[in-house]
Amino acid sequence: MRPLRALALLCVASIGLCSCARQSAPSATTGVVPPAVRYQAHLAAGGTPPAGGTLTNPHAGDAAVAKQGALLFTTMNCDGCHGGDASGWVGPDLADGRWRYGGSDAEVFSTIYYGRPKGMPAFGGVLGTEGVWTLVTYIRSLPAPADVPTESWVGN
Amino acid sequence: MVRASLTAILYGLAALGASSGSRAAAADARTDAEWTMPSRDYGATRYSPLASISAQNARGLHPVWTFSTGVLGGHEGQPLVVGDTMYVVTPWPNVLYAFDLTRADYPLKWKYRPDVSANAIGVACCDSVNRGAFYLDGKIIYNLLDGHTVAVDGKTGRELWKTQIADLGSGETVTMAPLVVRDRVIVGASGGEFGIYGWLKGLDLATGQVMWTVHNLGPDADMGVRVDTFKPPYDSGANLGQRTWANDTWRRGGAPVWGSVSYDPELDLIYYGTGNAGPYNPEDRPGDNKWTSSVLARRPGDGLLVWAYQFTPHDSWDFDATGTMILADLTIGGHTVKALVHFDKNGFAYTLDRASGRLLVAQPFAPENWAKSVDLTTGRPAVDPTKQTGVSHGNVKGICPSLEGGVSPASPPAYSPRTHLFYTSTNNLCMDYLAAHANYLKGTPYMGVTSPYSGGPGGYLGSFIAWDAARGVKVWENKEPFPNWSGALVTGGDVVFYGTLDGWFVAADARSGKVLSKFKVGSGVVGNPISYRAPDGRQYVAVYAGIGGDWALLSGDMRSDDPTDIRAPADFLKDIARHTSQGGIVWIFGL
Repeated sequence: MRPLRALALLCVASIGLCSCARQSAPSATTGVVPPAVRYQAHLAAGGTPPAGGTLTNPHAGDAAVAKQGALLFTTMNCDGCHGGDASGWVGPDLADGRWRYGGSDAEVFSTIYYGRPKGMPAFGGVLGTEGVWTLVTYIRSLPAPADVPTESWVGN
Repeated sequence: MVRASLTAILYGLAALGASSGSRAAAADARTDAEWTMPSRDYGATRYSPLASISAQNARGLHPVWTFSTGVLGGHEGQPLVVGDTMYVVTPWPNVLYAFDLTRADYPLKWKYRPDVSANAIGVACCDSVNRGAFYLDGKIIYNLLDGHTVAVDGKTGRELWKTQIADLGSGETVTMAPLVVRDRVIVGASGGEFGIYGWLKGLDLATGQVMWTVHNLGPDADMGVRVDTFKPPYDSGANLGQRTWANDTWRRGGAPVWGSVSYDPELDLIYYGTGNAGPYNPEDRPGDNKWTSSVLARRPGDGLLVWAYQFTPHDSWDFDATGTMILADLTIGGHTVKALVHFDKNGFAYTLDRASGRLLVAQPFAPENWAKSVDLTTGRPAVDPTKQTGVSHGNVKGICPSLEGGVSPASPPAYSPRTHLFYTSTNNLCMDYLAAHANYLKGTPYMGVTSPYSGGPGGYLGSFIAWDAARGVKVWENKEPFPNWSGALVTGGDVVFYGTLDGWFVAADARSGKVLSKFKVGSGVVGNPISYRAPDGRQYVAVYAGIGGDWALLSGDMRSDDPTDIRAPADFLKDIARHTSQGGIVWIFGL
């Protein structure tokens, strides 16, 4: 039992990407990851959000990096849980425009880097910041469909 | 004749209990009223001898009690009834409820809420299911999704012991129902999609201590194989579990144990099936890949392997063999045979000699095209080369059945010693299979496949059938618009019970398949019905409703609990969300 669609990839390519990401991790990490990430959707007591660092995607909107990220999405077995094309499996759909932990670059970064409590592993250790930003760039490049909250069978 | 043999087994057990002083052995001889094991008896027949509800009066069945479990995951498995108490285990977070059957409304005696890691939800490949508990020696024994086995006092609900058996960080979760034989608790782990090194463990019933661990693949030393005592019917030589894999691919080759275990007290053998080989691209692991997709027979005391037979060598289709091994004495060719019957994901139903592992009958019970037949003298399937998968084969189209199986191993069949028939759900789905090289990264999925499904031949997606395992022929079939995912129950009243994915609970005539009554139970049924006699002296049938258990099948559009996860319906199963949604409910039916 596994996702309905998963992207094919070549091991050679995957090894190259992984080792590249690992090498760049230590230096890039220092001083970049803030002590806290603020979630737009979260309520702030007293109307005042807590202090937190800022995270800026160095590759925001870069189509070439997004393409690398698509490969990484398969190499790191993200598709095994989130499905091919990130369309959902045991893990949530990442291409539906709705977000459990926020959909900004910084929020998606934090989710991948540190993991989440229902089984999302922390990939920061194996990928480093550069690898995580590459994935963020891919995920943010997925075209979200128009949000249609209604599923109707009327007339069928 | 078969009935006499079953009775003999019961007496044998009672005698064993008396001679050895073992309380465990006496368990199988408990009263007709109860259901104390996942499959009711050690032979895993799911046959209840109760006959008050019969084919003549089943039309009058109606619900008498319901209970919301408060949990949304797929409700596989079944309740237990011990004396005047019904026990229910939920999917994650694996709550254990104990209901008092002596009082009106069946109020709770207690509930037990273990601290189960939420991380397990995402490591379970398919859904956060649990396949049930086992009662023995005053204890309720069951597994937690995050890799623990617990023993709970059946009277007080107090936790007696809790043992970590599996490693979530390596991709192992636990969904199977344990089996207890004498003082051994037999358990295994899921994780065929995570490159686990599959195993079986024997725990001490009194303390929970792990007494032995044996692997389902790998070198003899790991597998509990001694050359003088391991006699596979179709293979020979040392280290088969290692030699049939390229290099060290066995180390992450899968062979999970996520179904159930059965036991023959006369032969003193436990039987269980192993899951798929990993990864899904077979060219990443040349060889037969023993003992994935196999049945293994071991000694419960020390776990030693006695025989093994591989249903699907070099699994190239995710054909787990974790479906139930049913033990029954059948008349084949005029002889009484101690048989083992197994409905495999690969679409064939197998009848084996359970003493030796030799194949007696192997015939398709559901539409299949990956193999032309199974050779009874060599035990090997004649694989259609055009259905062989792997990276070099590109996108292989139209393989039947799909990797959901001709039947899901999560849908255990039943056997009636009165009709001499086996009863099982089936799926009628096919698939394309595009394999890709997989990259092992500990604790993450290790697969490598794209495999969209489509409906199989005939314009229906599932069915419920009666099967003659002595001859290998289908006796009757009730076709269903959706894949059928529930377990089966058959009774001494010759009534067979099953549920459908669109939420019908059905009672049918065990001899003809004629539907006698049906009721819409609020959510699709993937659980297994049971029957028992309550303290009021009446016979009842209980079943869980609660669709789930497989995200490929359900495509996620069954959910209403998560506003951040909105998916399109599966193209082969468009209408299912129109008829049902998630939600666990315990139902009890009576006359």
